[in-house]
Order: sequence, then structure tokens, then C-alpha cells
Amino acid sequence: MSELNKPRTLELRRPDAVSSPYESEYNTDVVVVGAGFAGLNAAAAAKEKGVDVLVIDKGKPGYSGLSPWPSSFRWFDPDRDNADAFRAAMMRGGDYISNLHWYDMWINESKSVYERLTKWGILSQYPGAREAGDYFEREDFVGYRETFDNFDRHKKWIKVLNDYEIPYLEHTMVVDVIVENNKLSGVMAFHVPSGQIIRINAKSVVLATGGGSYKPTGYPVGSDTFDGEYIAYNLGLPIAGKEFEDFHNTSSQGPGNVFLDNHWQYLENIWLCGGDVTNENKNKYADNKGNIMVMGRVKKAVYGINSGDGSEIQDVAGADFTRRGASRCYEEDPDEVRSGKKSTPVAASVLAGAATGMCCHLTSGVFCGMYDSEGKTEIAGLYVAGDGIHATAPSGAAYPCGVGFTSCFTSIDGYHAGGAAGEFSKGVKLSKASDDYIEKMTKEILEPTTRDKGFDANWARDVLHSIMAPYWVSTVKSEATLEAALTQVKYMSEHVIPNLCAPTSHDLRLCIEMKHKVLSAQLKLSAALFRKESRGNTYREDYPYRDDSNFLCYVVIKKDSNGQMQIEKEPIPEEWTGDLNQAYDKRYGYYFPKEPQAKGFTPVEGFKKGGR
Amino acid sequence: MSVVRLDLGKCIGCKNCVDICPLDVFYFDEKAHKSVIAYPENCQNCGQCFVNCRGRSIGISNETFGYPITAFRNATTAPMNHMVVTDSGVLGYMTDGALP
Repeated sequence: MSELNKPRTLELRRPDAVSSPYESEYNTDVVVVGAGFAGLNAAAAAKEKGVDVLVIDKGKPGYSGLSPWPSSFRWFDPDRDNADAFRAAMMRGGDYISNLHWYDMWINESKSVYERLTKWGILSQYPGAREAGDYFEREDFVGYRETFDNFDRHKKWIKVLNDYEIPYLEHTMVVDVIVENNKLSGVMAFHVPSGQIIRINAKSVVLATGGGSYKPTGYPVGSDTFDGEYIAYNLGLPIAGKEFEDFHNTSSQGPGNVFLDNHWQYLENIWLCGGDVTNENKNKYADNKGNIMVMGRVKKAVYGINSGDGSEIQDVAGADFTRRGASRCYEEDPDEVRSGKKSTPVAASVLAGAATGMCCHLTSGVFCGMYDSEGKTEIAGLYVAGDGIHATAPSGAAYPCGVGFTSCFTSIDGYHAGGAAGEFSKGVKLSKASDDYIEKMTKEILEPTTRDKGFDANWARDVLHSIMAPYWVSTVKSEATLEAALTQVKYMSEHVIPNLCAPTSHDLRLCIEMKHKVLSAQLKLSAALFRKESRGNTYREDYPYRDDSNFLCYVVIKKDSNGQMQIEKEPIPEEWTGDLNQAYDKRYGYYFPKEPQAKGFTPVEGFKKGGR
Repeated sequence: MSVVRLDLGKCIGCKNCVDICPLDVFYFDEKAHKSVIAYPENCQNCGQCFVNCRGRSIGISNETFGYPITAFRNATTAPMNHMVVTDSGVLGYMTDGALP
């Protein structure tokens, strides 16, 4: 450590006892778990139904999960934009497994979400770092933040909850949904700083818990740890889309540094985007997204392997702290507020795998059916909403929809789920699980605290990350590498997770999160093994091309009544799979390494040849 | 792991860091009326505490211990450039190579 980096003063000791500000039991109509874009909209929609709502967040609403960091927000303007063109781009760019039912909902409702979030103050526009002065040049992050304090969107989450008169519990982790004898009656949680167990009796539950990663490097997803996915899987609900990997990058200057990679997009306003897909550019739009977001990563890995020394795996290009600038639209039109994502001074992101384990946005989570409109699960009263927990999959296999789609889409998803949960709660009476059942759940939650010795959750996190992060597991997959990783993850599940030790309530959170991460890794590896083809954000070296005959489907994993993992295909409706009689090179606009040579066609103009 | 204390004397006890941190890194000493960086090993380096610290008592370093594994990281990397906390309490870049 350099002299400059040394802390200037010693810290005080962690206080031995922290008191909880909360009761040990609450009654409500709807409980919303997680207060990101999906959760906030769900809570508002439920409240608008005239029922009582309680929000629970593992951190502080507005500051936890991924919702503090969107760089942009995209909506569809029916008066100006071409719905057919955008739809065609989504089908092609999503490798023909995009859920167009949900996509049409974005077409129809995204503008109203823009209006709602603007009213809430979350989309307030103020001068960007480049327009406001020399904050960027002076690296004066705090000064810039303080100057535009009144616009700070992160505070608006609490304001919205207060305006709606929705109470919330902060720094409280929901560990399970209470379902006794097939009847849902609320959630079990604990206040992390104090360790106090909290029971919430509710008629309906919305899980808006986000996705997760095994360990964040350069991308701020550290507090999302697959909590809802673990709960849902163990309730027997189907989980889809785990094989499609996230593409987010980090920088070579500080690959673990979330602040370096994301500071200005945290501090600046959310850029308003959209209107950049036309009938003329729809194919090119989809193909470019695929080439950049999918093939850029896959080919870098493949070339790196071929070169023998890994030198091309990481782009060692010089840092460019002044990059970014895309998705401008209607630039000549003074009435268009969607100016596009402008130049923002953040570090160049040249390393892939910043959030190992994170799903391709929106494709992964609980599968509620192809034509589901509200995240309704098989358990009466239980709903799911948002990125990483609800497999809506409008973006298919590769997220071709452009920047800003997720923050908008999850708001729609949440609003639907919250409204449905509110409506459901009107028709049922509040029930409570038996004391015996609650006692059993409490004992399970606190189990890691009962051990005098055991594995440290931070060590387990690093081990899991080391198993899952390498490019031969996350990017260039094969039967052998996936099986090898799965063997190790199963070992952790059987031998490490049951022996994690939590000396404090802080450690208890980490132990429970590790349990969730390990299950997520099992689901991810199992789904990737099952999909014996390459499509969008999953590439199999041993099945290197798309297989439309067998895999125009979602891979759905479920825990059966014997506790075993069952994997099945859920076929995509024919109306969404495009023209299967079309020649391959016309149907798809980007290709896996060496695919054109193997299949004997000439790539479209501008395509870079695969292989060396 | 990257949050650092610049100067505990500057902590005004506003509790923003305790309140905001999504990873339960901070606790609060009621008697001293100061925040405590209790679990720096769980800091994800997001910097929300840093930009919201009213007393400017907190800084962010680039010593990201245990974090640099990414899917594509390998032995032939570019020189590491360290973002550091300077005496004036702002961030700077300590570069080994060419940075703009």
C-alpha cells in the first residue's frame, strides 16, 4: 500500500450491541421485498389499489441494489417512433427468443412510465459533468454532487414512499416467504445490524429482489445476491434464463473499482434515450448490438486462447477517461427531450466479466408463462417483478434493446405486479402461520449463528468467484469446463454452506447470501450444460452455432417434490420465432467464431471475420 | 475493499454513510458520535458513502484487495494505475503509464 492510500486515522471499535428500530411483528396487506425501480413501482401500484403496503429493503431505498446506477432511461413514443421496426430489431437481436408479449407492453406503456418517474423527480434533468464546469477536470465528485443536491434522484425513493404513505423497513433482509400447507401468509426477515428477527404477516408478497453476482468487480451489483431466486426455487417455482450471461465490463485501471467505473453515471442525471430505431436501420441496429455485446466478448476470448498467451483476452489499450456518447436521436428536433446518452467521463471499460453470475438483463428469474402480464406465480398471492427475479425476457438471448431499457421496463413490470398483488389482497383475509412453523423458520435462519467454528462467508465468496469467473466457465463454455465447475459448486453446496459460521448478524447476512449464490451457480451451470448450442449471451465451444431445430426455447429449472433439480424446455411461440425458412445468413446478422466458414456463406457487409 | 478514513476528526456524525451503505460496512458509535468502518472487506467500492459524506471524512482508494478477478483478467495486463486519496481530500490518479 502506498503512503497516500493509508487511512489517516484509526477506526473506532464496532459497537458490540446495536438496537433495532423495528417491531418484531407487522401486519399488512401487501409486502414488497426490494425497493429498486421494480419495487418502488410495485409499492405505488399496490397502494393505489387502496390497500396497506409495507416495503422492505436490504439497504436503504434509492441506494441499494442496481437502481442507484442507471445511466439512461429509454421509452417508446407512439407519436414518433416505428413500433414495427423496433419489434423486428428485438426479434432479430434477441436471437428469436424475445418475449414479444412483454415487449409490446413496453411499446404501449413506457411513455406513461416516463411521465410517472418524471413526476416523482427521478428523471430530473440538470447539467452533466461536462456542461456544469470543471468538476470532472478537478475530480471534484463531492462538489458536483453537492451543487446539484436538490436534483439528487437517490433521495426521491424515500420521498415517493412518504408521499404515498408507505412505511418501509431498511437494512432488513427477507430470508423466506412464509408458505405453510400451501398457504402464503407473509415473509420472515431480520434487521441486519441488530440481528432482530422480524415476522411480517401479509396477504400478498411481491419479490422485487433483483438478480445478483458472485462478487462484483467494477459493477455495483454487490448487494444483489439472488435472494428471491433462492426463495422461489425452494418453493418449487420454475427458474428460466440462467444460461445467458451478463456482458458488463470493468476497466483495466481498477478492475475491482465500482466507483471508478460508475461514478459519473451515479452523480449525473439519467439520460433520456429512444427513437433511434427506424425501418431503414432496424437490422443494422440489432446486428451491431450483437456484434458489440456478444461477439466482441466471445471472440476476444477465442482469439486469446488461440494466441496461446492470453494477450488478446484483455484489451490493454490506454485508458480513455473521456469516452462514451451514443444513442442520440432526433438531434435536429428541438422539441425532442430524448437527447440520448451523452458523453460522460467514466473510465473505458475494456475487461469483461465485471459482474460474474449476473444474468443478461431481464432474461433470468421466475418463469410465469409466455403470456403472463403480472408476475403471478403458482403460489396464490406471490408475485415477482424486475430484473434478475422475473424472467420476462423481452430482450431474448442478447439484450439488443439499447441503453436505458431496463430501468424503464422494470418499472412497468413492477407496476403490473404491485397492482395485481394489491387487487389479490382485497379478496383474502390475513392469516398467520402456526407458531411452530415460525419457530422452525427462525431456527433455520439463525443456524449459522449457533456454530462456534466454521467456514468464513468471505472466504467462501472468494472460492465461488474463482470457480465461476474464468472465461472458460463464463464465456467460452464446454461440457468439460461446466461439469468441472459444477462438481466444485456442488461440493460447496454439500460441505461448505452447511458449515458456514456467523459470529455477528453482519456475518449472518453474508452466510445466507452465500447459500443463495451457490444455488444460483448450480442453476447457471446446469442451464448452460442443458443448452447444447450457442445463442446470444451463451457460447458453447463444443456446440458453437445456433440450433433452431432444438433450442428456440427457454431452459426452465424446477425443484421437484423429491428435492431434485428438473430441467425442461419451454418452446417459444411460433409467432415470435421469425421466418424459419429464411436462409441462416439472412435470418441472423451476427455470427459465432468461424460460423460463416463452417456454414459456407459470406458474412454481411461490415462483418469482421471470425477466427484468425 | 476500498473505503478509507481520511480524517475521523472531520466526521460530524450525520450517519449518511451508515444509512446509505448497501453492504452494511458502517456502524455508528453513539458515544463518540462518529461512524465506524466496521467491515471494509465487504466494501464494493461504490463510493456512495464518499460522495454523501457531509464532513468529507471518508475517501475511496483503489486498493481493491481481492476484487480484480474478472472473466478476462490475465497475466499480461496493462500497468495498474492507482486512483488515490490526496492530502486535499480529493481523488487523483497515480499513473504508471500514459493517461490523458
